[in-house]
Parts: sequence; structure tokens; C-alpha cells
Amino acid sequence: MKPSVFPFVLTGLLAATTLTATTLSATSAHAEKTRFEFWYGLTGDLSDRVQEACSKFNQSQGDFEVVCTSQNAYDATLQNTIAAYRAKKQPAITQIYDAGTLDLMLSKAFVPAKTLMADNGYKIDWDNYFSGIANYYATASGELNSFPFNSSTAMFYYNVDAFQKAGIDFKPDTWEQVEEAARKLKAAGYDCPMGMNFDTWATMEQFSAIHNQPIATQANGYKGLDAEVVFNKTRFVDQVKFLKRLADEKLVVIKTKQLGMDVVPAFTSQTCQMIQTSIADHGTIGRTLPQGVKWEVAMLPVWNGTERQNSLVGGASLWVMAGLPQAQYKGAAAFLAYLGTPEMAQWWSTVTGYIPVTKTGFDAMKANGFYDKAPYKGRELAIASLTYTPTSENTRGIRLGGFTQIRKEVGTALEAIFMQNADVQTALDQAAERSNAVLRRFEKTYSGQTLN
Amino acid sequence: MIQRTPYADAFTYGLMALGFLLLIGPFAVIVAAASQTMQQVNAVPFNFLPQNQLIANMTAAWTRADLGTAMLNSFVMASLVTIGKVALSALTAFSIVFFRTPLKHVFFWIVFITLMLPLEVRVVPTYAVAADLFEPIRLAIAWATGITVSVEWNLLNSYAGLTLPLVATATGTFLYRQFFLTLPDELAEAARMDGSGPARFFIDMLLPLSRTNMLALTTIMFVYGWNQYLWPLLMITDPAYKTTMMSLSSLVPHENALPDWNVTLAGALIIMLPPLLVVAVLQRWFVRGLVSSEK
Amino acid sequence: MDKRAVFRSWWLPTAFALPQLALIVLFFYWPAVAVVRWAFTLEPPFGGSAEFVGLANFREVFADPLYWNSVLVSLTFALAGTLSTIFIGLVLALAVDRQLPGSGAVRFLYILPYAIAGPAAGLAFRFILSPERGLMASVNSVFPDFWNPARYGSHALILVIVVFAWKWAGYTFIFLLAGLQSVPTSLTEAAAMDGSGPIRRAIDIQIPLLAPTLFFLSVVMMTEGFVGADTYGIVARTTDGGPNHGTDVMVYRIVEEAFRGLNYSGASAQSIVLIGLIMIFTFIQFRFIERRVHYK
Repeated sequence: MKPSVFPFVLTGLLAATTLTATTLSATSAHAEKTRFEFWYGLTGDLSDRVQEACSKFNQSQGDFEVVCTSQNAYDATLQNTIAAYRAKKQPAITQIYDAGTLDLMLSKAFVPAKTLMADNGYKIDWDNYFSGIANYYATASGELNSFPFNSSTAMFYYNVDAFQKAGIDFKPDTWEQVEEAARKLKAAGYDCPMGMNFDTWATMEQFSAIHNQPIATQANGYKGLDAEVVFNKTRFVDQVKFLKRLADEKLVVIKTKQLGMDVVPAFTSQTCQMIQTSIADHGTIGRTLPQGVKWEVAMLPVWNGTERQNSLVGGASLWVMAGLPQAQYKGAAAFLAYLGTPEMAQWWSTVTGYIPVTKTGFDAMKANGFYDKAPYKGRELAIASLTYTPTSENTRGIRLGGFTQIRKEVGTALEAIFMQNADVQTALDQAAERSNAVLRRFEKTYSGQTLN
Repeated sequence: MIQRTPYADAFTYGLMALGFLLLIGPFAVIVAAASQTMQQVNAVPFNFLPQNQLIANMTAAWTRADLGTAMLNSFVMASLVTIGKVALSALTAFSIVFFRTPLKHVFFWIVFITLMLPLEVRVVPTYAVAADLFEPIRLAIAWATGITVSVEWNLLNSYAGLTLPLVATATGTFLYRQFFLTLPDELAEAARMDGSGPARFFIDMLLPLSRTNMLALTTIMFVYGWNQYLWPLLMITDPAYKTTMMSLSSLVPHENALPDWNVTLAGALIIMLPPLLVVAVLQRWFVRGLVSSEK
Repeated sequence: MDKRAVFRSWWLPTAFALPQLALIVLFFYWPAVAVVRWAFTLEPPFGGSAEFVGLANFREVFADPLYWNSVLVSLTFALAGTLSTIFIGLVLALAVDRQLPGSGAVRFLYILPYAIAGPAAGLAFRFILSPERGLMASVNSVFPDFWNPARYGSHALILVIVVFAWKWAGYTFIFLLAGLQSVPTSLTEAAAMDGSGPIRRAIDIQIPLLAPTLFFLSVVMMTEGFVGADTYGIVARTTDGGPNHGTDVMVYRIVEEAFRGLNYSGASAQSIVLIGLIMIFTFIQFRFIERRVHYK
């Protein structure tokens, strides 16, 4: 005799799966347009801008439909892309941040940018990309595997009103001047002359680049997978000691999410008078600071007597994933070509704080006076910073495997130094040792492969 | 009757009040904070009195985290986990307890070992299975017959994917097993004498007797399903299938935004309510079922 | 236990158990095989051919001081969580067991936190016990830095333990109250005649009789603390494992290692070690439950 509970149970379980079936058929009812997916990591206001770009594309033509989904964070986008790729459910295009570049490059899971565009009949002037930007993502032979999309670099922001009240009559161009300004601000009664968090991007990566210091051997990893980090032996160590001394004197104040307020809100609430953060925050800062407050953005300070080098590009690039039907690649190529048009590039740089990634884009914006107008003035300094000098081995970019984890190790070391008074050299040595373990494991995982 | 002394009674009440403060106090703080304005919620010292902003904050949280979709998805997910678990574990426990066959020990151990491996430690490969459910079957066929078949069944971004892996654990089976073991031997014996088959016995005798047990399991599983955090986070990439626990991150005051904890906590309160109601309403059976499972 | 097994059939129990067994094999054993395979290879994040490395992943795990740190953090978390939930549950159960007017109402209320998800509770406590707002800000304004979970690992650990204890105290309370109510009143009455007060009676008679329940609960709570569904969520939403690995419990480390570090193999090796630990707990629990059933 067949137990009669069975049908009940099965109906329950089947109900669970039929629900998916209905949603699937509902979506496939959309007729002949080729649909493809685009995953990105931006959130909030920036996510709305991406959605806007997607709908602009969808309205601009009738053959393709891009479905854009925010994965809520850069690292989550990388994780989800990997999981989806393993499961053969990858999106056609995915936005991978700077730190994940090598993880993607060695994965063999993508279609190189050049191949994609050539195969689908698009002519792209690859030399038109700013070399500082393109170099970060290009192979050793200079070919781009992915499309630079949202690009930024770290800048120095300061509150001009506070500077005036404290009687500071110079700009903070050097770290000596930053210290002097901090002392004057402190004397004038400001509790937080400079705010700082444990994000390594500005404090370690950008500092090292503009002071021409290596992060790792082998040209920051560009020349081979056997690179080892050296940030515990460069001027970065002195810089951490310097910042720690200022922190001990309450001239630098730690502002993190865990403490309830990160550096940007600390600056826009006028709690802190100087911060380092991305040019991408330029728009947010301008909108959030109360009307009438005077503030400036500048290139990151250098130490007196140092020849300034170009800073590193940050942000993310767009990768096209392998293993999808040909029709989707046609759509992906059309979408990427659309994003690359001068009009779209200009629109994107206007509504966000990101810098144009192509020379023609920048020139067009400069020509029509974009950077002279009030809310956008200052953003051209980011380009100036990125292109300050030709790139050296130390300023081309960072090509290290598992760099997300390395950032975390350094961030944790900074946390230990600034919050728990750990010894600077010891903490950074430990972080370097742990980072090298990450690199060795990466090298072994991809043994036999070389960087091309 | 044990004699009562006023001192002992006062002390007892003191303890009970302290327990109330510790266990219910946080709810009071959440409600108070969720009903204040942003200035009030950040004030020092904290004001424990609820204000009149509760609805406004809840509305703000509802739109910010798109709680409508999330609540519906969480509800569907928790219900399916509950139904699947209540039904399937009863069947398995029945076959483990009431049959005389060596297989039952095999079944018992197969189920039992799942207690040892939480989802967190096998989440990546479980994801791979959810993405391609038939892979083991395909491999089995290929291994046995040499034929390669190409059937695929993908559970990502679906209710089935959200629920099925959570049904594949042992808790419910053990709750039933413990309960079945407390039943008098004569019960099944009598059924066998009557000549009614095991299926009849299961439906007519066991299921009605297991009502308390089922309601206890319903409570546990609804709470378990609703409160799932890591699994949905990983396997849902389509916002249409987002659950409430995934919405929590959009409720945290964003790093570049204002410290509006009043909205955050109003949202958290909404998310906490459904399992809270289930536990409150089913408490009597839940407690009885739980306690009997220990025996 | 075999006495109850009255029906003779092999296909019927198989058919009954099949749906659940199929799910378990698919979603449990099959993935578990992958965990084992990865633990002995170097699995590339995007898949592809993985090199067999023997015990290298395990050696790496055991040589890592931060791994041992996470073992210590997990042990502290589970032990402190277990002790505090059982202590609170026991005290409240003893109080409610005296059945004064109003006991019924508090009994109803005490269990409510059990319904709250760890991550949601963690989010709420991040506010309630924040150093800059909520309840502790007043204390901090008098004694600066008296409480700062973002700065001190110990404070952060206390914070996540508080969330855990809050959620589970009502659960232990239920079991202990049920245990107390099954203590024969004649025993406590006799002690009362002898003139021993309520606290004496609790220590001399009631608590010793609760020993089996206390043991059962400590095993359940330890397992919950180590690998419970909420442990990961509490840590992820409250402290992110920090500051400086101060709340880096083992499950959190495994998930971070796999997804942030893209080190599936290292995470799998850690998983297997953790499984070993849980097996010990589960074995104890199993033996204990079985024995109680036999003695009944």
C-alpha cells in the first residue's frame, strides 16, 4: 500500500520549484530581445546612476536588454561572480575592483576586452585610455583584458573655513605642513584636526606610489607571481610612525565605521578638518556639507624634498565572462561600446565623481568648461595627480594575487597599531609575513602559469 | 505546602524583575529608539520613553530596505522549510523507530551524522549542488552505464534553492524519534494485531498523537527558516528573492550617510516581529515539545 | 529500543525515509565530499584543475597563530555563552518555580528573545551597547573609554557573548524550569520542615537533581556556540570579527577565508578540524541522551 502522506509532501516540495518555473516563464515572455546580465558592486546613489545608464542603453536600441543587479559591495561582487561562474550561472559583464584584477586575469574565466570588441566588429582606440588608468588593468604587453569603468584616485580634502579661523595661511602640500596645520587647528580648539581610517588604499597604496616606494618586489607583482611584499621596509613604515605620533598627540583622530563614523561623514559634519579619500566622494562631500562652508580638494601631500610621482588609479573595471552564448557577447559588446561613447562618458563623470577614463573624454569635458564650474571644480586635480609623471615600476599599479586579503592584513595591523598601541614595525612585519603566505599560496595554486 | 517568608518572596520578585529587565529590556530600548527622531536617538543620556515617530521610521525603513519583497520571501521560505521539515522528518523517524530491519540503523546514522556539519562549513560546495542539482545523478549514470546525459536543474535564485538544503538536516527527525520512543509498546503491537498496516498506523495513530510535537517543530523551524542569514546571502543574487536578513545590511546607517539609528531599529523591529509572534502564539506547545525532546 | 520495532518490511521504511535521505545525500554528503577533496588540494577560486597537496593545507592551518587565536576565541565565546545562559536560566527557573503570583506572565516573556535572529539582535545591540550612543554613552562620558568594543577586543567579545546569552537564556530557562517542576515536592517539603531556607534547598536538593538537564544543556549550548546557525550572523553583523581578530570565531574565520581570502582549500581544512570537534560534542550528547532513554 502506498502511503497517502506522500502526495501531500511532494506537492509541498513541488510547489517550491514550480514557483521558480513560473517566474522563469514570465521573464522569457519578453520576446526576442537578447538579455544579458551585468553585476556591479556600487551602492546607494552610485547604484542609481548605474541603473540609469542601463535603462539609457535599453532605450537606445531594440536588440538587447541588459539586466543590471547590484551585489551591494565590491568584494561581494567578486565572490558572487566566482560562485556563479563555478555554477555556470555567470553574468555576461561583471564589475571587479582594482584589488581583484589578478584573481580574474589568471582565472581563464573571461573574454579579453580586445578579442570581444574585435569579434563583434567594434573598432576601439585602445591608446585613447589614460595610460595611468589602462596600465593598472593591462597585461605586461599592454593589452587590456577588461574595460576601465569607474576610475578614481585618492585626494586630500580640507576645510578652508577652519584653516582661516586657525590662522593657517598655506595649503597642505607637504606632510610637514599637514602637521603644522594640525597643531594650529588643535590650538584653535578643533578636536579632530585630521580624520583617518584603516583603509589601506590612501594610507599605504597611494602614499607608496607618490613617494615612489614599492609595495612588493617584481615591480609590484607585474613581473612575476613570485613577488613578495616589502611595505614593511619602505617609507610607509615611517609614515605610519608619523601618523601614530600625531594620533598620540590627538592631532589625528581615528574615524571608522566600527566607531560609528567614517572619515567622509566626519568631514562633512565638520568634525574633522582634513581627510584623505577618493575623488569619487567629491560629489557627496559637496552635496552634504552645509551651504557656504568653504572647502578645498588637493593632491595628496608629499614629504618635503620628495619628487612627487603619479598616484594610482582606483575603482573598478568591467570584465566579460567566458562560457556564454554568442548572442550575449554581441549584447555585451554593444553595451560596452555604448558606455564608451563620449556622451555617456561625460554623463557618467558628471553625475558621479569618477574621472573620465579616456583622453578624448577628458579633453571634451575640459573644452566645454566643466572643471571651471563650482560643483565640479577641483576634480581635474585627480587627473593631474594620476598623470603627474610617467609611471615607474612602483606606480604602474599593483598586480598581486589575493590582494583583498593583503589589504585586510594591513588594515588589521593598522587597527592594532592605532587602537591597541601595537609596535609599528612588529605589526607591519606580521602583516607582511601573512601577506607573503597569501602570495605563496596564490603562486602555488596557479603554478605553471605565468603573467603575460 | 512550602511556607512562604516575606523576605524570600521579595528576593524572588527581585530576581524575576532582574530577569525581565535583562531579557525584555532590550526590546524596550529598541522600541523606544525606533520611535524617536534622529536627534533624540543620538542623544546622551538615552531617553527610554517612546516618542511618536514609530510609524514614520517604520515607513522609512520599509522603503529603504524594500521590506515588502523581503518579508514576503522570508515568509515563503520559513513556511516551506517548516512544512517540508514537519512532514519529512515524521516519515523518517517513523521508519527508524517502528520497523524491524537492519536498514533502519543505516538510515539512523545517515541522518545522525548531519548534526555534525553545519551549513557554514560546507556552504561553498552546497552552493555548487544547488546550482546543478543533477550533477551527482549524471555522474552516477555516467559511471554505471557510460552514457552522458545533459539534464540540469538549477536552484539558484528560487524558493526551492532557499529551502531544500535547510530541510536536509537532522533536528526534526530526532524530535520525532524521541517522542515515538516514549510511546507505549502496546500501541504499535495492538495496531499490528488489528491487522492494520504500518501506513494506517502512522496516519491514524501516530500523526494525531504527534500534534504537540508538530507544533513545537513548527515553531522551531519557522524561527530557523526566518532567521537564516548566510545561505540566502550567498545563493540569492536576484533582488526579487531577497530575504529580510539580507535587508539588514541596507538598514545599517551607511558609512557616508547620517547616523539614523531610529530608522535602522524600526526596520529591525519589523523583521523581528513575525518569528516573535509565532513563538508567542505557539509557546505552550513549543515548550512542551521541546522539553519532551530532551528526555 | 528494538522492542517498538514491530513492523517487518524493508521497502516500506525505505520509501518513507527516501525523500529526506535523498535531500540529505544531495545537500549534505555530496557537498561534504567536496569539502574533503578541497582540503587536500589547492582549489583555484574559479575552478579548474587542482593540485593534490596532501596535508599541506592542514599544516598551514596549524602553523597559523591566528588560527589558534580563533580556536581560543571560539572556546571563550562558547564557554562564556554556555555558562551565562545556564546561570541566568537556572536563577530565573528557581525563582519562577516558587510559583508566586505573576510567575506565569514572566515565564511567557522570558522565552521571547529566542525568536530573534542572531544578526538582527547583533544589529540592535550594536546600537544599545554602542560607545557613543544608547546606554553606554552616559558611562563613557564620565569615564572616557570605559566601554569601547571598537577598540578593545575583550569588550567586543563581551558584546557578542551578551547577544548570544540574551538570545539563548530563555531557552535554557524552559528546560530547567521543566526539570525543577519534576522534582518531587515531598523532597523540598521535607527539607523545608527541617528548617532549611529556599537558597539552601536549591543548592542541596534542586540543583543536584537537575544535573542531567544541566549536562544536556551545556552540551547543546557549547555546540550552538561553536557552530550554531546564529554564531556566524552575530559576529558578522556586530563586530566583523574585530577589532584585530578579537571576535574571530572559527565559523567566521572559515567563511572569511573562503570568500574574502578566496582560499577554499584552507577553509575546507579548517572545516574538517571543526567537524572533528563537533563530533566529540555530538558523541557525548548522543551517548547521554541514549543512556537517559534506557534508564527511563
